[in-house]
Amino acid sequence: MSATSPDIPEARPSRLQALFTFLLRAVLPVYQRRWVLLPALTGVMMMAMLVGAVLAAPREVVEGDVQRLMYLHVPSATIGTYFSFLITAVASAIFLMSRDIRWDAVARAAATVGVLFTIFTLATGAIWGKPIWGVYWSWDARLTSTLVLLLIYTAYLLARSVAGPNDEQAARYTAIFALVGFLDIPLIHFSVDWWRTLHPQRIIFNTRPAVPNEMLFVLLVAFLAITFLMLWLIALRSDSEQLAQRTDRMRMYLDQRGNN
Amino acid sequence: MVESTVAIETNGLTKRYSGIEVISAATFSLPKGSKTALIGPNGSGKTTLLGMLSSLITPSAGEATLAGHSLTANSQSFRREIGVLAHRPMIYEELSPFENLQFFARLYEIDEQDSRIEDLLRAVGLWQRRQAPAQILSRGYHQRLALARALLHRPQILLLDEPETGLDPEGIRLLDELVLRAPDITVLAATHLIERASSWSDGVLRLERGRIVEATAKPSKTDAPPKIEAPA
Amino acid sequence: MNPMLTLIRKDLQLTWRDRSNWLSALSFACISLLIYSFAFDLVATDLKPLLPGVLWTTFLFVGVFASSQSFQREWDSDVLDALMLAPISPTAIYLGKALTNVISLLAIELVLLLLSTMLFDTAFLTAELILVVVIGTIGYISLTTLLSTLGTRARARSMLFPVLALPLLIPLLIAGVRASSAAMDEPIGSAPWILLLTVFAIWSTASGLLLFPLAVKR
Repeated sequence: MSATSPDIPEARPSRLQALFTFLLRAVLPVYQRRWVLLPALTGVMMMAMLVGAVLAAPREVVEGDVQRLMYLHVPSATIGTYFSFLITAVASAIFLMSRDIRWDAVARAAATVGVLFTIFTLATGAIWGKPIWGVYWSWDARLTSTLVLLLIYTAYLLARSVAGPNDEQAARYTAIFALVGFLDIPLIHFSVDWWRTLHPQRIIFNTRPAVPNEMLFVLLVAFLAITFLMLWLIALRSDSEQLAQRTDRMRMYLDQRGNN
Repeated sequence: MVESTVAIETNGLTKRYSGIEVISAATFSLPKGSKTALIGPNGSGKTTLLGMLSSLITPSAGEATLAGHSLTANSQSFRREIGVLAHRPMIYEELSPFENLQFFARLYEIDEQDSRIEDLLRAVGLWQRRQAPAQILSRGYHQRLALARALLHRPQILLLDEPETGLDPEGIRLLDELVLRAPDITVLAATHLIERASSWSDGVLRLERGRIVEATAKPSKTDAPPKIEAPA
Repeated sequence: MNPMLTLIRKDLQLTWRDRSNWLSALSFACISLLIYSFAFDLVATDLKPLLPGVLWTTFLFVGVFASSQSFQREWDSDVLDALMLAPISPTAIYLGKALTNVISLLAIELVLLLLSTMLFDTAFLTAELILVVVIGTIGYISLTTLLSTLGTRARARSMLFPVLALPLLIPLLIAGVRASSAAMDEPIGSAPWILLLTVFAIWSTASGLLLFPLAVKR
């Protein structure tokens, strides 16, 4: 029997890890400056978006000024919601493979931001819907699937929050839930789509007149602004979650030392 | 070292939970038929180490070979060679001792199941109670049943986590007879009963905060750590 | 004997021995059916359009509550570790558990269909409707069995489990209700609901088979 010194080579990185390191190195300079770049880009683009939406874009003929909400609503509903949940799913998958708890923090951060954008989407939609449709809420396919998404990801955040930041088991389970939930999205979409469109309903989406170029340009700016805002919020949130994990870890470590 | 004489061989076995190393680069080898006591204070990582060796816990790094099978491959033939007696008995409380063993015998697809089960139940003194639901049996009988379950498929290697827990003197005698003094079985047993361990073990692995700080072939009384904690 | 059959046999044996659980699930299902009758006055009005919805919500609530307990026995005495140590694949453990749940819930659902046939004077035990129920049951049980490993050790599980499971099951609910209506010759349009139900069943079974090993591996 022999105990050798712990000068054991680490396991060789897998091909996936190698690819990962390569990608990381490529984006590292950007990543390291994220606390300058993200707020700056977000700020500039948000300003541009506001100016564009309020002043530059023409007043929509039919809907009036309330149409200007579209510049916030459409990017939030697409980028803010779906892209955040995509990040949650990807981070969850990476966590399940690497068992590195920091990816759980990224997944949670993205889900939190995604839920915020979902609520914002539903809220702006309701504000827009009242004058245009005459109701705040309608069981339209798009609205319904957004609502279901909100239910799924609040359940995810709830389930994750009953356990501690470093609870590996809870993180694993909720990561699986996040993956299943993300893969459920197409099914939800099909089902509510068929569910609604096959029933008599008010005609909601009229064929719109051709959108002026100014509007399209402002919308593009808005898309960029929301993308940067989302990334910045996720970065902030995931950093604070990782800090919470580190404090929790230190507390565990100190407890352990205190006991022995 | 000739392959066939080594039962357990580990190389840099490491487990991290959220960044904290619970087991740091455990490297050791145990010869076939050896009986090793795994000692160390509470929270030193004994259960995690046994969990990794039994394939229940995935190592963060490192490699181990048990009975000639690689741990990371985690093949079914690997699991046939390992018997585990854990903290908790791991039996269905709603099933009787006989039904419990019958169920596991089917999972392990062992031959001549009924006679093997009868032999084991007689050996651990449960034959008279074979039909009673396990939940009405006492803690000591649960542990005896767990012992029978661990031995059921004739494993080459037994991993025990504080096997004396809940056993009466008669149960401890059975444990000694069936496992700790059985010539063919390689045993690695986590224990707090260091005095008792010196009577059955021919080697000691001592863990402290996840590191193997001592590996001796034969424990001596003077080597005993100054502080012995009572079993939790 | 095939390890999966061994697992199913043991689970059914335990289910039978501990009948009170399933009997209370069955009673719960029957009572909810009656509650719906009182709440919506299902006997007096033209009830046919409502019945599929009543049936499927009952199925889902019973199924979710019953299958959230799937691994309770295994957790109670750490037998899941013993199963993981046995020379069988985790997939077999999952399939065994899911099939046991499907068998038990189909039994409950058949009783419910029989009861509804008598209560509401409508033919429920038709081949088409039973096919819809079987596919739908496989679909939701595969998912709830996977999810039942989620909260098993977490606190507040009994409250959380339906909150987690039901939003994911909304497509199945819609498809199940619509396919049942179609089977009962209700006018519901021409969407391929059975297809959606089947796709859901395949999707949830595949997710269960792929993700269960990750859920239980420490």
